[in-house]
Amino acid sequence: MTTPGNSVEGQRGESSRAAEGTVFDIGYQHYDGPREGRNRARLSVFKDGLKVSLGLGRGPKSKILPWMFIGVLVLVALIMALVAGAGDRLVGDGTAEALDLPSHSDFYGIASIILFVFAAISAPELLCPDRRDGVINLYLARPLTGSDYIVARWFSFFTVMLLVVWLPQIILLTGLAMGDPKPSDYLTENWLDIPRFLGAGAAIAAYTTTLAMLTAGFTTRRAYASAFLVGLFVITTPFTTGLAAEIGGTTGQWISMFNLSNIPVHVNDVIFREASEVTAHAPAANFDNWILVSWFFAWTLVPAGILWSRYRRLSP
Amino acid sequence: MEALLAAENLSKHYKDVVALNDVSFEISDGITGILGENGAGKSTAIKIFLGLLQPTSGSATILGENVSENILVRSRLGYMPEHDCLPSNVTAAEFLTHMAEVSGLPPAHARSRAADTLRHAGLFEERYRSMGGYSTGMKQRVKIAQALVHDPAIVLLDEPTAGLDPAGREEMLELVRKTHREFGISILFSSHLMADVERTCDRIVVLQGGQLVQSGEVKSFTEETETVFIEVDSNRDELVTALEKRGVSVTADVGGLYVEGSDETVYDHVRDALVEAESPLRRMGPRRRALTEIFEREGDDFSGLTKGVES
Repeated sequence: MTTPGNSVEGQRGESSRAAEGTVFDIGYQHYDGPREGRNRARLSVFKDGLKVSLGLGRGPKSKILPWMFIGVLVLVALIMALVAGAGDRLVGDGTAEALDLPSHSDFYGIASIILFVFAAISAPELLCPDRRDGVINLYLARPLTGSDYIVARWFSFFTVMLLVVWLPQIILLTGLAMGDPKPSDYLTENWLDIPRFLGAGAAIAAYTTTLAMLTAGFTTRRAYASAFLVGLFVITTPFTTGLAAEIGGTTGQWISMFNLSNIPVHVNDVIFREASEVTAHAPAANFDNWILVSWFFAWTLVPAGILWSRYRRLSP
Repeated sequence: MEALLAAENLSKHYKDVVALNDVSFEISDGITGILGENGAGKSTAIKIFLGLLQPTSGSATILGENVSENILVRSRLGYMPEHDCLPSNVTAAEFLTHMAEVSGLPPAHARSRAADTLRHAGLFEERYRSMGGYSTGMKQRVKIAQALVHDPAIVLLDEPTAGLDPAGREEMLELVRKTHREFGISILFSSHLMADVERTCDRIVVLQGGQLVQSGEVKSFTEETETVFIEVDSNRDELVTALEKRGVSVTADVGGLYVEGSDETVYDHVRDALVEAESPLRRMGPRRRALTEIFEREGDDFSGLTKGVES
């Protein structure tokens, strides 16, 4: 319905007349366009999770933390690439390898604590405010189940974690290739590193995402979740390392398995077929590969199941 | 008229607590109020209709479907919860766009609907401000806007006037009326405030202690009385004197004068008294009973009404 009587015309001079417009109050319009149901709802929650995690579309304060962590990780990769490249160029080809300078297989071990702290700080932002502010009530009153919601949120943060773990490795690869006198030869000789760091990165992303989301699923306060997670990752390392060294033997090995920071790094070692600098001296590294991988899956799938079960039954 | 929403022998128990007990009613097009004290089962009924809670027994259908069996029905439902449900660090425009998408609308349509809905809710100028800085009234408007953004066939409003001052309450009730009158959207409106329900709704369902105690058209409860209500602009005291001189029983309060009598001669006496007192007449007509009077007449609570349950 058009009501010209309600038109508001611009009060501008002759020179700007061409740019003038007219606004009509056309009243309430019913929507008869497409309704894409549950898949659109899932996709929207997923996209929203990406924006929340990276602070996109939010104020500057929301962007500081995620991008600071990404910047630090990229910086670590850049330094590693520059050191290796400088060695090869200034001293001679193969210097980096001869000196056993850190490379792709070591990156996740070196950066693991930064990755865990990033997950601890950022992941709760996806779940805690929705429950604290009551937005979850609005989600669950739409064509979206609790399972849809938590799976979409999980994939949001998993995607962000993939970006965070893969981006520095890609920069490191580029730096190492560029540092080689013959970049194409470097890529030909080391192409296997690419699927390896992609696979190991996906394992770390899945593990950190799941544990961080599970913790966030039990509190409405982001700060509590973050503090608990940081404490968990940071404290278990010296505690289990000291206790494992003290006790020794198989028991010591099993205690070492409870070093939560090392669990996905052991998988990284299995994938790269060499121990990284962080896990080289951990007693758990002496276990068979299948035990290390099974342990990783247990610590990823069981928390994921608990998280899913909690949200599946969630009601406002 | 086909029922938009129907409850059939609906019961919900939480261990030993009975939230709803064998409740049956139907709601068709229009504005229907669910009236009851806190804990009467209003919010439980709404959550069952939305499929957020499972009934212990009985069935609840909305738009002909059981939401628990077909979640896509929720694409055509709107829900405004009683409690806070808005993030503080997001703009209203962004929030509504996201909510429209979660209801199934493609992004371009969602953006357009969000802007339109905020305009209808009176928040167009404020749409790019973070909602953390909004007043309670503005937040209530965003809450109702998010329930309307995907153009639902019916919206369920849980205590929409809660926490509002009198002016905000009036604005909210007007927005509710407008939602049905101008937007053509049916409404289920839960409240414990009888005046809000009486002024806004076409029909009411009264719950108490999880049981249905009344249901029907609001006007059937607020039937005309044998009292004539008169409101004048001036010379009120002279009018009272003129009426009493004619032997008419008259009482006064801040709203106006109430004249007892059902026969037409009362209107003749009123006419003559108005002329004599030279009082400009603003309003006159048979007085309707208020819902609050019914509840007061039956006792201090809703219990006196259990006799009048309609099936």
